[in-house]
Amino acid sequence: MQKEVLIADSLSVSFNHQTVLDEVSFSVAKGEVFALLGGNGAGKSTTLKTFLGTVSPHSGIAKVMGLNVTSEIDKIRAKVAYLPESVTLYGHLTGVENIQYFLALAQVNCTDADIEQALKRVALQQNAWHKKMSFYSKGMRQKTAIALALLRNAPVLFLDEPTSGLDPNAIDEFNQLIANLATEGTTVFMVTHDVYGACHIAHRIGLLDQGKIVGMFERGGQTNIDTEAVHAAFSARNRP
Amino acid sequence: MISKISYDEWRFWHRSKLAASILIIGTVLTLLSAIVNSVKMQQTAHEREHLQHAAESRFLEQPDRHPHRMVHYGHYVFRTPSPLSIIEPGVDAFTGTSIFLEGHRQNSAMFAEQQQASGMTRFSSLTPSFLLQVIVPLFLILIGYASVTREKEAGTLNIMITQGVSIWHLLTGKYLAVLASGVIMLLPLIIAAAWASLTGEALISTGTFVVGYLLYIFIWSGIVVVVSALSKKSSASFAALLALWVLFSILVPRIGSSSAAALAPSAGKLEADYAVLAELRKLGDGHNAQDPAFVQLKNNLLAQYKVDKVEDLPINFRGAVAQYSEAKLSKVLNEFSERRMQQELAQAKISRQFGWLSPTAAIRAFSMMIAGTSLETHHRFLREAEKLRYDFVQSLNKVHQERLSYDLDINRYKEGVVARVDSANWQVLSEFTFTPDSATTRVTRSLPYILQLLFWSLVIAVLLRVAVRRIS
Amino acid sequence: MSIFSNFSREAKFLFKQKHLWAFYAVVVCLSAFAVYSGISEANHQQATIERLLEKEAIDRENVIAKQKDYGSAAYYTFHLTYSEPSAMAFAAMGQRDIYPWKHRIRMLALEGQIYETDADNPELSFLGRFDFAFLVSILLPLFVILLLHDLRASERSAGRYDLLVVTAKNQHSLWLSRAVILSLSLAAALLIPFVVGAIVSQAPFADVVLMVLVVLAHLLFWMVISLVFVTSKKAIKQSSAQIASVLLSVWLLVTVLVPVVSDLVINKMVTGPSGGEIMLTQREAVNDAWDLPAEDTWTEFLKTHPQWQGKTTMDSPFFEWKWYYAFQQVGDQKASALATAYRDAIIKKDQLAGQFALLSPPMLTQRILSAIATTDTQAALVYQQQIRQFHKSLREFYYPLMFNKAEFSLETLKAQPQYSTYERAHKKHMENN
Repeated sequence: MQKEVLIADSLSVSFNHQTVLDEVSFSVAKGEVFALLGGNGAGKSTTLKTFLGTVSPHSGIAKVMGLNVTSEIDKIRAKVAYLPESVTLYGHLTGVENIQYFLALAQVNCTDADIEQALKRVALQQNAWHKKMSFYSKGMRQKTAIALALLRNAPVLFLDEPTSGLDPNAIDEFNQLIANLATEGTTVFMVTHDVYGACHIAHRIGLLDQGKIVGMFERGGQTNIDTEAVHAAFSARNRP
Repeated sequence: MISKISYDEWRFWHRSKLAASILIIGTVLTLLSAIVNSVKMQQTAHEREHLQHAAESRFLEQPDRHPHRMVHYGHYVFRTPSPLSIIEPGVDAFTGTSIFLEGHRQNSAMFAEQQQASGMTRFSSLTPSFLLQVIVPLFLILIGYASVTREKEAGTLNIMITQGVSIWHLLTGKYLAVLASGVIMLLPLIIAAAWASLTGEALISTGTFVVGYLLYIFIWSGIVVVVSALSKKSSASFAALLALWVLFSILVPRIGSSSAAALAPSAGKLEADYAVLAELRKLGDGHNAQDPAFVQLKNNLLAQYKVDKVEDLPINFRGAVAQYSEAKLSKVLNEFSERRMQQELAQAKISRQFGWLSPTAAIRAFSMMIAGTSLETHHRFLREAEKLRYDFVQSLNKVHQERLSYDLDINRYKEGVVARVDSANWQVLSEFTFTPDSATTRVTRSLPYILQLLFWSLVIAVLLRVAVRRIS
Repeated sequence: MSIFSNFSREAKFLFKQKHLWAFYAVVVCLSAFAVYSGISEANHQQATIERLLEKEAIDRENVIAKQKDYGSAAYYTFHLTYSEPSAMAFAAMGQRDIYPWKHRIRMLALEGQIYETDADNPELSFLGRFDFAFLVSILLPLFVILLLHDLRASERSAGRYDLLVVTAKNQHSLWLSRAVILSLSLAAALLIPFVVGAIVSQAPFADVVLMVLVVLAHLLFWMVISLVFVTSKKAIKQSSAQIASVLLSVWLLVTVLVPVVSDLVINKMVTGPSGGEIMLTQREAVNDAWDLPAEDTWTEFLKTHPQWQGKTTMDSPFFEWKWYYAFQQVGDQKASALATAYRDAIIKKDQLAGQFALLSPPMLTQRILSAIATTDTQAALVYQQQIRQFHKSLREFYYPLMFNKAEFSLETLKAQPQYSTYERAHKKHMENN
């Protein structure tokens, strides 16, 4: 029984002879909310994509629930849910249809009642459920995607800039949702450049800069991570 | 400003390699096909001229014999290709290139090139016209589909607009850039046209030819830029342009041809032949002077020369009959062949109307007209061949009537009778040289299709305006 | 089970897109037009043949009534020969607009007659017909490219790609099932009008099935090519337009370049005599015979017809019908080597074209389709051979009458060979084999 759900061990990725990730190592435990924080081009998304198998590592090891990303990606994908940064589902389908389609793709069986329940949980207004996605606002699309992720019932959740474009109310709801999921045992891995959001929600924050982990901040008991400290460290690295 | 935009576009293509290689491939292909075709055309022209001379001298070399034998011996004519057929072979490969001319019959042209071809070139062919009409537009699409959408996708379009760049200038710049690449691919044609001018083609026709193709390139460059400007994304622009290309260059011309065949079916020569036979039964057989159909002629001649018997006529009655019946027969034959040609022309005209629906259909008709490789020219060839046939057959019949005595003639199958005339009489055959239609005729004929091309240019101009308004 | 659920899921998904419906509607219309114009052309040809047969019968009656001897009867009687469009011809008109399918001959030297071509309007042939075979061989690949080129790239540019592949249980089966659904619908759009047309034309079941299989095979080829490239590693970073450009260049290569180059090569490899040569040889032979001693003609004639040895004496030294037809026959004999070479060159070219077509699936498709419809070059040559056979049977009918100086009787004359009965016998023969 492995306690670490996500492991990155000396992970390096390069594109066109340019190193994007340079020997990155960290691990995330079951039920933990881990945020990878960094500026533009720091390598956050690359790290995320390595775990999802859409980017292959140059050297080093990345594992999800003990499965290696380079050799067992199909097994990994069955166990993870992913929330992309800007959610564009299919505009020609309704919200419910989109969820049904993606669940079918994942070969997850869900009843209509399950879907309704999930949509209620993410607080998507009911009159939008059967409207075409092309009429959705960004927040509504985001909520639909979260509902989809919930329905996947995945033990690991990957989030890419999850709160960008959401209004403050929605952000609160979202944070509450993530906290609940974590208590239920879901492992959450998110990448963001939003210092405050990260501090608010994460149990642990890794600060990434130019492909390297340059700092690690941990929550002490019930108190959130110290925003000031993280912010200072972040700005020091991202001065114009 | 405009030139700056054009220059930027060109620099982008240069760097992206794809566009540059397309441009090179396009130009090399057209150049290659122009060379291959002009070599082939010169060979054919040479060969046919040679065959024509051979046929003529063979006729003249025939020994003394009965003049009617020469009517059946007959003669061949060959059609020499027009200079501009190096660019546009038109219907030439599908029509026969030689006709056997003989008495009492109008034969069709034989030995069309396609009958002896591998059958591989029914859709595509290595001719400059096919490349320019069908392939070059595709290349223009590949080069320019993203000319405007790229700026949209990168967000640079908004930056330009906010910096006060006029949309007109932007689109004109892009348009000129695409146009320039089209003109480069057109260069081999311009050179070939110039070459044709040097080898005897009138400047007015080569000039119009080049202008027509320039218009065509104008139109397609316009289509490319307009669609790119009206599309939100490069992929959408590409798909739309590809669909338009399939529609305009491949579908519409063929749909035109199939519609013409379905709307105005033509009877074909054979059917006319039977109709001619039915007519002829009324006219009488020219080989048989006893045929009751010639009683009238006989009575007229007897009255004219004031004699009682055909034997007493100062002319050979059998020759007179041959002349008379050939004239009657040819009149009927011509009536039917004219009708047939009109039918064919009516079909062609239906298919040419599709130029209003596709610039490619328009340029195809235009190109054939100017190059002198259209149906009209083929028909003229048939008419001139018929004129030659009629002239030499009737001249021989005249020889028959005047230089061969009736007495010898009716006893020609008897022992010791020599019913022949001197071979010097074979000189009645006139030389046949098929020259292309005059430049002005061809230009005049092409006017409706120039009009179609102008119509398309207008459509493009309007659409450009629409695109400008949409963006701003 | 899983494959089926994949397909039904993707079918449900794809057919909610309106533009796809529009696309398939266009394809159905095109196919329907192609089939319609094919049927109308086939009917037109059939009707023409029937009209011609009627006219021939009238003409025949008129001519025969006037005859007093077999020689002039043979001289004045024209015989209509024809090759009816097969029941499948509507789908692939093939080479029928280039080679003649109707021809009128009489018992004179055949080489002087057989190359006459009552061809279709050359301008329409030049523009090309829009038949089902064209749709399938040339346009079908473009349709497949249009449908499949942005299978993956569109998801990428819409930002759904990562979510899709992370969510999908098996991403390959996702692309595959989408491609299969799109291609199968394309096949349906193309084939439904075709099958309706086949039923209307009462085409034989086996031929229809065969054509459907050819269409599906060609479709499969382009689907596999597109799918392999679209989902390849190389294409992963390319935009949909770049992918389509690559696929288009494959299309250009096999539809334009391969045929054009093979045509050049074939013409270099095979050179036959020019048609004009045959005509000239035959004409000189026939015309010279008038001035040559009759003996020369008889010697040549008897080489191939020894059975008439001893029956060649002539009543008049200047003209007799049997002598006239003998030198017509000799004219054919003299031109026969050239004619065979000419024919062999066409056959050889066609064979080579068949081999080169292996490099070009569209050309191969077109050739197979017109072979099934018996509208290809081979069918045209078979027809030509039939004309030759029929002409031979005319000679076999008349020679005994002339050489044996048979009493002229209209009854005998009415029994002369008819192409229609001859053609029917040939058809039966073909069916039995």
